[in-house]
Amino acid sequence: MDAVVQFTSQSQGRDRIFRATQYACALSVYLLRNNSERKDLVAKLKSLETNMSAGRKLFRLGNTINSIEAAKRTMQLSDRVLSLCLTAANASRALYFICDNVLWARNVGLIRHIDKERWSLNASRCYFLSLVTSLTRDVYEVVQLMAQKARDRHFRQKMELHLNESPEVAEAVIPQLDAFLFLLLESLRSHPAVALDMLKNVCDLFIPLDRLGIYQSNAGVVGFCGLLSSVIGIVTLAQPKLRLRP
Amino acid sequence: MESWVRFNSQSQAKERIIRAAQYACTLLGYTLQNGGAAADLLHTVSQLEAHMSLSRKLLRLGNSVEALEAAKRAIHLSDGVLRLCLTISHLNRAMYFACDNILWAGKTGLVPEVDLQKWSQRSFRYYLFTLILNLTRDVYELHLLMDREARYRASKSPPSAQPSPSLSADPPSPAPEALPWLSRQLHLLVTVLYSNPPLLLDLLKNLCDIFIPLDRLGIRPTGSGFVGACGLTSSLLSIATILHPWLKLKP
Repeated sequence: MDAVVQFTSQSQGRDRIFRATQYACALSVYLLRNNSERKDLVAKLKSLETNMSAGRKLFRLGNTINSIEAAKRTMQLSDRVLSLCLTAANASRALYFICDNVLWARNVGLIRHIDKERWSLNASRCYFLSLVTSLTRDVYEVVQLMAQKARDRHFRQKMELHLNESPEVAEAVIPQLDAFLFLLLESLRSHPAVALDMLKNVCDLFIPLDRLGIYQSNAGVVGFCGLLSSVIGIVTLAQPKLRLRP
Repeated sequence: MESWVRFNSQSQAKERIIRAAQYACTLLGYTLQNGGAAADLLHTVSQLEAHMSLSRKLLRLGNSVEALEAAKRAIHLSDGVLRLCLTISHLNRAMYFACDNILWAGKTGLVPEVDLQKWSQRSFRYYLFTLILNLTRDVYELHLLMDREARYRASKSPPSAQPSPSLSADPPSPAPEALPWLSRQLHLLVTVLYSNPPLLLDLLKNLCDIFIPLDRLGIRPTGSGFVGACGLTSSLLSIATILHPWLKLKP
């Protein structure tokens, strides 16, 4: 109970729970859409999803400043590639929050004469950009890990063992591919934080891809990906070891 | 900016800011109505207030557990009166949050059969009991501190036992004696409150807050302007205690 209370006292913890619920509702609505007996349940789930989304927009009102502060911090990192990727990610996230705040003001009725569709598309574009730069950072980290592992003598012994054990398996036909995949999987397994962050960003990517029309999936895929990424977010917040730093 | 990030990361801080904004909207709605503003502006303000109220209910969904944990901790206090007041206050707060969760479910349409009026009245009743218990605790602490201060003053300067010669001729009437006693007590009260800002803030906060359920339950209707001003003041005081944790009354 204590851990739950501590988790929910963090604003980010609550937001991730609400996000998970929101996408779970979206997924359930998609799965039940053709079920005529459950029409009122579907209506309730839709209403819950709208309420969660509206509430989360209100709670996100101050996050622009958070992102700008994070961008200022990441500008001072020693590693140039990392600094560039993270600063770009934080800056585009700050722009996303600004668009999101404008959309909130429009939804509540404080600002009347703005084009909701255009601002929504801009928000999706900024979000897409932040995800792409985050993924670039993940790929960079994985490449560095793989290079480090390849130099490690203990690992090279392990690789020899693996390559020689089953020559008749299909992968062994292309030994370089087999070696590459083995290296990749071992690197990801030894650093779960990078693997989780990569999976989270890939799942999140489907949301703006669908919204911007680049890769049209359906509402069910979007709901499932959103739910999965929210659950990963909750896990990384609850277990700080699984969180990718910086 | 750093302090904003740290402040914003606490869920309670965010809820307090939204509460301040909500009661500012109430106050604004009242002043605009009296000033004869346009109907759609009033509609926007009241819609904004309703949106913030519902979102705060969403944000408070897990607070019953927190209040129960606080009640469990309060049982172990050494002082009997404090133990009683705080434990029952936290339990009432837990019940208030439970009613609030049911109201949220009703307002969002999850459980349409909820009688919104009945549960709203219930939640305000629990909130009123919480505030009465908090005020009792404040008065008790104040009484203890005033006693201590009076004894400290008495030990510092021994009081003159003889009455002044001018009064010795007539029998002492009760009214002139009451006034110096009253002024002494008031002076003691002001000194104690001035040297204990956490107690002063908590007392002010609870006094401001108590007008909200008193108005909503119809016990002492004061009008939305006064309620808005009280709510805004208590939210600002609460934000001050979050920004400066030394201002929070412990336990």
